[in-house]
Amino acid sequence: MPTIIHAVAGYLLLLIIVRVLARRAGSQMTLFEFVIVFLMGGIIILSTVGNDRSVTNCTCAVIAVCLLHRSIAWAKSRSPRLGAILDGTPLVIIKKGVWQPEVVQGMKLRREDIEAAARSANVTRVEDIDYAILERNGRISVFPKKDS
Amino acid sequence: MSARDFTSAVEDSVPKVEEIAVGENLDFQRQWWRFERGIWIFFLLILIADVLGVFGRGWLAKAQRTDDAHAMTLDYERVERASTPSIMTFHFMASAINNGKVQLFISEDIVKALGAQRIAPQPESSTIGNGGVTYVFPAAGAPATVQIQLEPSFPGIHHFRTQVAGGESIGGIITVVP
Repeated sequence: MPTIIHAVAGYLLLLIIVRVLARRAGSQMTLFEFVIVFLMGGIIILSTVGNDRSVTNCTCAVIAVCLLHRSIAWAKSRSPRLGAILDGTPLVIIKKGVWQPEVVQGMKLRREDIEAAARSANVTRVEDIDYAILERNGRISVFPKKDS
Repeated sequence: MSARDFTSAVEDSVPKVEEIAVGENLDFQRQWWRFERGIWIFFLLILIADVLGVFGRGWLAKAQRTDDAHAMTLDYERVERASTPSIMTFHFMASAINNGKVQLFISEDIVKALGAQRIAPQPESSTIGNGGVTYVFPAAGAPATVQIQLEPSFPGIHHFRTQVAGGESIGGIITVVP
């Protein structure tokens, strides 16, 4: 029973921590940021299983986390508001070739992040971007200007 | 293919930015940024509280009690962490030593709820009863010290009581955090 409570508490804590960290998942993540994510997971594991490292205990912890994750995924599919709270909403970084400073500063984005996304979309210059959108998963979608 | 029919009409209901369907909600995002600022301050306060010992293992967690007869002084942590060892130290003065022995009573809470693991030095004898355990230690003279290692298993609030022969009773409360 304590393991299940610890697993649920650990899951919810990670959910909050990862959500309030700046959205720089996936392709925008640096190697160090990957290490930070694994470090947080490793620390949570210590308190989840405690001194009981039996197969039974670890299996119960994994099942508890899976059930909770599935329940939250179901709740998000039912409630767009909850989905926005837990995953955020897409944000426009560049609109019609114009930077949106509120979003750039709010999401702590750097010009290098946009340049990397532009290169992935075969756009060689940031000035040639018509729209750049920060997706919910942290990826930056780039739409080049039609005349570029 | 899914067995369920998709009966709703196909329509584009995603909020658009100019001609691109983005689904951006800048008002919500502004609220979220305010929430983020608040939660980072909250996290900082948690760390400061932890450093100070609000959650144990710090300056605020340490406690010291002396009985009215000044026969014994007790050092302990008023906030402990579950499944984490800590030391409760008993310092005995000359009035606590009678015929080369120290007779120490500790209540059941220290033994069970707070998970007394080890006692150093080993007592000459231990007797159960009166809601606790009475230990007898051989002692050459003051000052003398006995240490008990505690490792509580579960969170909770525990009242304890201890007394040395020749002294007054000392009571206290230990809060065990998860």
